[in-house]
Amino acid sequence: MSRRPGFLVYGLLLAFVLGSAAPLYWSFLLGSHTAQVAAQGVPPLLPGGHFLDNAQRVLDTVPFWKALGNSLLVSSVTAASVVFFCTLAGYAFAKLRFRGSVPLLVFVVATMAVPTQLGVVPMFILMSEFGWTGSIWAVMVPWLVTAFGVFFMRQYLVDAVPDELIEAARIDGCSQIRVFWHVAAPAARPAAAVLWLFTFMQVWTDFFWPLIALPHENPTIQVALNQLQSGFFKDYSLVLAGTTLATIPLLVLFVVAGRQLVSGIMQGAVKG
Amino acid sequence: MRHKVRSTQRGRLALGAVTALSLAVLTACGGDDGGEGDTDGPVTVTVATFNEFGYEELIEEWNADHDDIKIEQVKVGTWDDAKANLYTKLAAGSGLSDIEAIEGDAMPAILAEADAFTDLTDAELDGRWLDWVAEKATNSDGQMIGYATDIGPEGICYRADLFDKAGLPTDRAEVAGLMGTWDDYFALGEDFVRKVPDTAWYDSSGGVVQAMLNQVENPFETDDNTVAVDNPELKAVYDTVTTNIEKGLSTRLAQWGDDWVASFQNSGFATMACPGWMLGVVEGNSEGVEGWDFADVFPGGGGNWGGSFLTVPAQGDNIEEATEVAAWLTAPEQQAKAFAAKGTFPSQVEALDSPEITGASNAFFNDAPIGEILANRAEAVTVQPHKGPKYSDILTAFQAAVLRVDDGSQPADESWDQFLTDVEALG
Amino acid sequence: MKIDGGDTDTPRVSPPSASSTPTPADVPVRPTLRQRLAAWDVRLSPYLYISPFFILFALVGLFPLAYTAYVSVHDWSLLGGQGDFVGLQNYREVLENPYFVKQLVNTISIFLLSSLPQVVIAVTLAALLDSQLRGRTWWRMSVLLPFVVSPVAVAIIFGSVFGDRYGLVNELLGAIGIDAIPWHTDRFASHVAIATMVNWRWTGYNALIFLAAMQAVPRDLYESAELDGAGRVRQFLSVTLPMIRPVMVFVIITSTIGGLQIFAEPRLFDETTARNGGPDRQFGTITMLVYDFGWQLRDLGRASATAWMLFILICVFALLNYYVIRRIGLLGGDDR
Repeated sequence: MSRRPGFLVYGLLLAFVLGSAAPLYWSFLLGSHTAQVAAQGVPPLLPGGHFLDNAQRVLDTVPFWKALGNSLLVSSVTAASVVFFCTLAGYAFAKLRFRGSVPLLVFVVATMAVPTQLGVVPMFILMSEFGWTGSIWAVMVPWLVTAFGVFFMRQYLVDAVPDELIEAARIDGCSQIRVFWHVAAPAARPAAAVLWLFTFMQVWTDFFWPLIALPHENPTIQVALNQLQSGFFKDYSLVLAGTTLATIPLLVLFVVAGRQLVSGIMQGAVKG
Repeated sequence: MRHKVRSTQRGRLALGAVTALSLAVLTACGGDDGGEGDTDGPVTVTVATFNEFGYEELIEEWNADHDDIKIEQVKVGTWDDAKANLYTKLAAGSGLSDIEAIEGDAMPAILAEADAFTDLTDAELDGRWLDWVAEKATNSDGQMIGYATDIGPEGICYRADLFDKAGLPTDRAEVAGLMGTWDDYFALGEDFVRKVPDTAWYDSSGGVVQAMLNQVENPFETDDNTVAVDNPELKAVYDTVTTNIEKGLSTRLAQWGDDWVASFQNSGFATMACPGWMLGVVEGNSEGVEGWDFADVFPGGGGNWGGSFLTVPAQGDNIEEATEVAAWLTAPEQQAKAFAAKGTFPSQVEALDSPEITGASNAFFNDAPIGEILANRAEAVTVQPHKGPKYSDILTAFQAAVLRVDDGSQPADESWDQFLTDVEALG
Repeated sequence: MKIDGGDTDTPRVSPPSASSTPTPADVPVRPTLRQRLAAWDVRLSPYLYISPFFILFALVGLFPLAYTAYVSVHDWSLLGGQGDFVGLQNYREVLENPYFVKQLVNTISIFLLSSLPQVVIAVTLAALLDSQLRGRTWWRMSVLLPFVVSPVAVAIIFGSVFGDRYGLVNELLGAIGIDAIPWHTDRFASHVAIATMVNWRWTGYNALIFLAAMQAVPRDLYESAELDGAGRVRQFLSVTLPMIRPVMVFVIITSTIGGLQIFAEPRLFDETTARNGGPDRQFGTITMLVYDFGWQLRDLGRASATAWMLFILICVFALLNYYVIRRIGLLGGDDR
């Protein structure tokens, strides 16, 4: 694709981006007005002046910073863990031949098909056995590896790591682990970046399990935001101010780490 | 073949991951073995609540006065979430707080599983609560499983300004005289919608269903918990409510939905059945709207909607202390203070006479003496419907049946038949 | 295509052989320690690499699965605990439930309305992002914006947008003279609304996945295609799509699995307190039925049976999709 993209491309992209950004703007919008305005069906177009007031109320009502910190910690650690273990396993499924690899992979993918809602009860029993309920581990352990991650890395690595490269490395005398570390891992970088992001966001937006597994004083951000809806009366301006506040660190993270992330995605494999 | 730059990058990444993991381990290990098995320190009793129980100041008061037992509140946003949490941990056998607040409508199901909860029967607390409230927390073996916190005696909230538009009286006492029975209430409504077009009489069919069902003795189940929904009283309620839909009395909206919330701002209706806790909702949703008032009347005499109970799960470690705390929190003086804080109306007999109640008034509702009104309405409650273990589930199906007529997707008779099938399928 | 590690430490110059046992005539009788270690390295390392995954997976993936299967053949109340063994009775009761078929159809409908447009738009979006845009990084990051918005906010906003009476879309339709659409009441309209919520959130992410795959496509393939006279669209169809087939398979299979499991969005879209997908369950999905049986009716037995039936359904659909993709020829080879 050497030609420069024309207006059509930019136009389509702009339309998509506006559509993506609209709800974000909307939540900021409603978070900056009073509850009365926020409850109406059609919102005004411009922000009101109440955002800081509402934000202050959010901070007073829930342990916001702690929840944010918990979420950041949990999400980053699990994302890193998933990338590490699933790249390793995905590489093995993609490039190494061993007995039972196909049925095992099919089995792993199949497990994604069982809804997770029911897993809550046995998972809680398990966490109690280990004594982890009430600590951050309870929220991290279920996410340390995912079937999704293994499947994804396997699919990506199947083509992204040319077999000739591996052969060449083997001829050079590399052991398996060095082949992995020097050939497969760099090639996996784009997919690893995407997987990291996906896992981060999945864990970040998880609500039901942290609600049950974590103690009240030590919530993750989604649980904390939900506490803003307590009482029979739902103050949407408060809730949306809270969600906007929770989004700001993510946006900052994306701006700061985004280049790394996207350049990781941009970096292709060794050209053939 | 050797990518030096990349390997240092990867090395750093790996180091980062390892650091993160170790941090996580340290945090986790540091955090959780904290206050366990500490025989010298105070016992912490956790109280799990939802919505707003008004306990914040009470807990501070207790903690200031007591060294041996400290209370900690665990709040969840809605009963829905609290219920999910409760049921999951009951199934798992661990993880519940020392005291769990339970919503009234779920009590029948809880009573059926009384093994999971401590028997709180205490002769000293006899007569603390209104009779019909104490009954709701007592199982068939006569054990009291929960201590009642608040109740929801209902009056009628109305928009005096809309009444004025329709040429109806606006004074509280006068309005009360016009709505003594359901027939009067609905007839007045028909009059209203004729005079003020595009405005419904009441906020939702669902609210009226709740109100009417709470006055029927055996709406869904017979006294021995056999399901018997095809009974004349229930059909009468159904027919009345669905006929009213055609007459334009209902907004045809689902209670608690987004459109329902918006209808407060858009003057979608003129009256609604208001238990004490609903006053806060109306006020919140109607910010900027003037003209709300609260009348000391309820069609059919009296009704109760809502109310919660404190229970002590049997799986906890601090049963004795939790029982003590629960008894204290639900004492008349404490509940009266909770009312002053968050509007949760007391279920305790003595509290009904306390100054917090008798003196309470609400500026938003035209300075209505809400304490007095609610106390009157509480005493006017005569019938307490029998609620067996399937009550909530059947109620859900019933409300769904009415909503199907509301939203026009089914005619009333078909919807009723579907309701009967649904109830059978509950199993 | 897999590579089998050969025995690379023997002093011979011949290329690695398919088997790891050298022929007796060429090497000393006892393999050296190095040779043995190398052989073990080759044979054991795959298992070693997948074992951390599988150990953790046994805990968090398998145990709940087995537990659910066990529960589904018993009479099991959420609060009361385990009852008698009842064989397939739970499954029978679920199949006879008046809403089961309806919710099944809903699930498939919402799935199709969400996955099909998602894949098409995502792959197109990725192709657009794959070009030499100005401010490339910002464009690419911006497709992730929906990801950042909290589910709570999404529910509130989309609920408000698609409100039957006071919602934004109906207001706009009214302004141009079209009748209001009953988004919550009408079955198909509700599916469209929910699919919109799902698509809004996930399209950008899938686009990035495709983009990552597209980045691995060698540029000279495009150059030679252009020399052959292929336009941009033709290049896309003949070069890009075939080259990203494993990832395409991945996206289609995971969207199938995810799309048939949709739970949070319809639940939040429901204005009634029961949250079963509307008063007539017009947009209730099978996963919601699982939740209804388990946490509302407190019958874990039927909930587990429903979950396993959903599992079978998803497997059927996933396999179907896979074979359809192969037939259509989006794939060339025998890769999965």
